[in-house]
Amino acid sequence: VSAPFAFPAPRRRRRPSLTPLIDVVFLLLVFFMLAARFGAERALPVLPGGGAGAGWDGPPRLVTVGAEGLALNGVATPADRLAGALRPLMPAPDAPVVLRAEERVPLSRAVAVIERLNAAGIPTVVLAE
Amino acid sequence: MRFAPPGARPRRPRESAVPMINIVFLLLIFFLMTATIAPPAPFAVTPPAAERAGEAGAGPVLHLAPDGRLGFRALRGEAALAGAARRAAETGAALRLRADRGTEAARVAALLRRLAGRGVGRVELVAVAR
Repeated sequence: VSAPFAFPAPRRRRRPSLTPLIDVVFLLLVFFMLAARFGAERALPVLPGGGAGAGWDGPPRLVTVGAEGLALNGVATPADRLAGALRPLMPAPDAPVVLRAEERVPLSRAVAVIERLNAAGIPTVVLAE
Repeated sequence: MRFAPPGARPRRPRESAVPMINIVFLLLIFFLMTATIAPPAPFAVTPPAAERAGEAGAGPVLHLAPDGRLGFRALRGEAALAGAARRAAETGAALRLRADRGTEAARVAALLRRLAGRGVGRVELVAVAR
């Protein structure tokens, strides 16, 4: 059977240019490099003080962060003995501990105490005024 | 000194662009996967350092400057507080408080009470790794 039409000889297809693609990818790359924020931030959970108290179990646990040092229920306590002194006062491991900072105490010191308590297995810290 | 026979031109083969594109795609995917795109902070805040702290959640970020200024996206002051509290209630995530390390801790406690007054019970203090 002969072809009814005479097709022209097939031409070689030209390869599409890669340059626009590379341009767009570079643009995206630069955008993400500029817009991204690296170094994942960390977070310490805190509870607001006041109005929380439906129930408070056990003896009072008030840690005061003063300009000089720490006090537990008004008794000066060194930072490395704070968790040990708190443990007999805790009815449950996740019982709240109230942290109160005196005036002019920067947040970094309060965070250091919260961190120390969390490391000692006391996860619930209430930041009160 | 030329050793090539006259008339023969040295032909350098064109370098292929494909390996470069591969590398650029790789970089692109790397940045896409690792980066977090966050709205820029309304003012410079240096969070306190903490070694043992959990991963930060995905809740709204309320910024607190040492002098007590509040910022949430484009909102400032009391509007920022209300906006962040509303956003936290919508998403159900813990509000992230990004306070400067030099802020008075009592000021942060007062802010927590104001947030609790707006129904925000779960707050995370943002810290950076040391």
